[in-house]
Amino acid sequence: MTTRRGFLAGLLAAGTAPQLGWASVGNPAYLAAAQEPDDGFALFGLRGDGAETFRVPLPARGHAGAGHPRRAEAVAFARRPGAFALVIDCSTGEVRRRLSPPEGRQFNGHGVFAEAGARLFTAEQRSDTSEGVIGIWDVEAGYRRIGEVPTQGIGPHDLRLMPDGETLVVANGGIATDPTDRTKLNIDTMRPNLAYLGFDGTLLEKVALEAALWRNSIRHLAVRSDGMVAFAMQWEGEAGAAPPLLGLHRRGEAARLAPAPLAHELAMQGYAGSIAFSGDGTEVAITSPRGGRVHRFSEQGDFLGPVSRTDVCGLAAHRDGLLASDGLGGLIAIEAGRPRPLARCDRAWDNHIVGLGA
Amino acid sequence: MRAALLALATLAATPVSASVGDALSRHILPALADFSAATAGLDRAAQEDCRAESLRPAFQTAFDAWMPLSDLHIGPSETGALSIAFWPDDRGFTARTLAGLIATEDPIAGDPAGYGEVSIAARGLFALEMLLYDPAFDGYGPDDYACRLVQAIAGDLGLQAAALETAWAEDFAPVLASAGEAGNATYLTEDEAIRALYTQLLAGLEFTADTRLGRPMGSFERPRPKRAEAWRSGRSLRDVLLAVEAAQGLARALAEHGLPQTDAAADHVRAVAGRIADPGFQDVEDPQVRLRVEVLQQAVRRMRAAIETEIGLALGIAPGFNSQDGD
Repeated sequence: MTTRRGFLAGLLAAGTAPQLGWASVGNPAYLAAAQEPDDGFALFGLRGDGAETFRVPLPARGHAGAGHPRRAEAVAFARRPGAFALVIDCSTGEVRRRLSPPEGRQFNGHGVFAEAGARLFTAEQRSDTSEGVIGIWDVEAGYRRIGEVPTQGIGPHDLRLMPDGETLVVANGGIATDPTDRTKLNIDTMRPNLAYLGFDGTLLEKVALEAALWRNSIRHLAVRSDGMVAFAMQWEGEAGAAPPLLGLHRRGEAARLAPAPLAHELAMQGYAGSIAFSGDGTEVAITSPRGGRVHRFSEQGDFLGPVSRTDVCGLAAHRDGLLASDGLGGLIAIEAGRPRPLARCDRAWDNHIVGLGA
Repeated sequence: MRAALLALATLAATPVSASVGDALSRHILPALADFSAATAGLDRAAQEDCRAESLRPAFQTAFDAWMPLSDLHIGPSETGALSIAFWPDDRGFTARTLAGLIATEDPIAGDPAGYGEVSIAARGLFALEMLLYDPAFDGYGPDDYACRLVQAIAGDLGLQAAALETAWAEDFAPVLASAGEAGNATYLTEDEAIRALYTQLLAGLEFTADTRLGRPMGSFERPRPKRAEAWRSGRSLRDVLLAVEAAQGLARALAEHGLPQTDAAADHVRAVAGRIADPGFQDVEDPQVRLRVEVLQQAVRRMRAAIETEIGLALGIAPGFNSQDGD
């Protein structure tokens, strides 16, 4: 129920307050969260050369975020099981909104803006069954929850907007979790999938893996401008199985898995934490913080080689190549497979780097 | 916790620092040279007489020489260690791949230099162990295909050892030693190189406790002796002791201060290991024996904790932010 005072406050926060663009905070190319030396957390804006353009404190460790396409406004998602997401004014550091999923839902760490920033879609799951839903929020109405649609799978994690601007692609990780402690409940029967959905929830296509890979949880996504989708996986089966951790998909085709040679695959420890296409789109890469390595592949899925870096996790397109971040504070550009340090900051970069597109 | 705090208080009185250079020059590089020499010896022995019984001593020597390096998984050893020692092998890749090569008499056996193209499961020490010790393979004569296969694997192992030594000495040791200098894209500060070696120490002892010992222990209801490392060649216990000795040696070389807790913990490991009779843990189904292996496992974990206190806490190295965390 909306009280008059609440309504006015909302109007002030979302409506009449100045709406500054990203230029007001130094035109960052990326958003990245980090833990600082005092164990506090903050969200940073980063330029392409690794320089910091803004810093706003966060009340707790987050997972991923989403940047509004125009306004200097970011949504930072709490770690799972996510009880909240914060809409942050990056020019003032002010928390404009605290978004809570409806009763019985929890945020799953990722979200994406669409329709030029008018809509926010959030990956969520039902607390009781882990069935996935996409929460739909009306941004211009002050981030009002206006609906939800099923993701057609269990435990969705990442979701992205396809280049057509009207299709969502969702990584249904397949893992049912306990709503309080995230204990995995269904490893023996998990069935991850990649689902393409219209904004109204219409299932456009669903891609599943062969039975031998049912324990390979599809968790993170990257989308190339021509609609190629790359997905990164995390293996829940027995150790030493060394399954492929990267897959490539185009609408209407079968998914293509991209294995690395056995010794390299084993070194990844069955875990990919982030995924990105290179800036020129000719490469796709995944990171493994456990293995301390980045694996690069061609757009056909051929293994191009590793880059070693301790605790590396965040990954995004950078110029023609890639930008990787790590828990030691490093920001490392990877150009044609060659690492080049841009910065070594006194903070531990968290799981993801979010590109701001422009 | 109290013990750790006390230890910290004690350490605070003496300067603590660490030296990547000493770790390289006193531990890692000499071990690489030893391993090259031992595998060259194994290769020569195999060319002279490939039969299982005659080759076993040289195999044991080479495996001993591997152990100081076995738990290093950085730089060239990140993948290089896997093609030298492919274990654990739950799916039986090694036996299957070797059986396939033998069944088809794959001509790759005539080409030690080309043998690097073969699956890593059929390369290195564990492939040789299978051929030299497993009754399903070890009865071959000098004119059999398996003899040429043994020679190829031994030759390939010698090449791998030499390549690993060169890669460390010429490429990766300079990267570790130049941590923090401009142009070093692997270690952006000096501390990062120390941290990298320290992490190897902890991970190696974890592997010894959880895998070298934990796998044959299985569950109390179901111990799994055939899951012990190198049980065919009766090396399981020896590998544990050599791995612990290697960790102690690397820890001492890395830390420029005394490590009394670590040394005491390593002594304790050796003491409790002395109570285990079967060097391959094949009697671990006996609850008494299993208990002794469990005591050994705890001793290895205590040594890990001692290194954490005396090196990690002392130098202020925190565990990985992302690697400890999944999402």
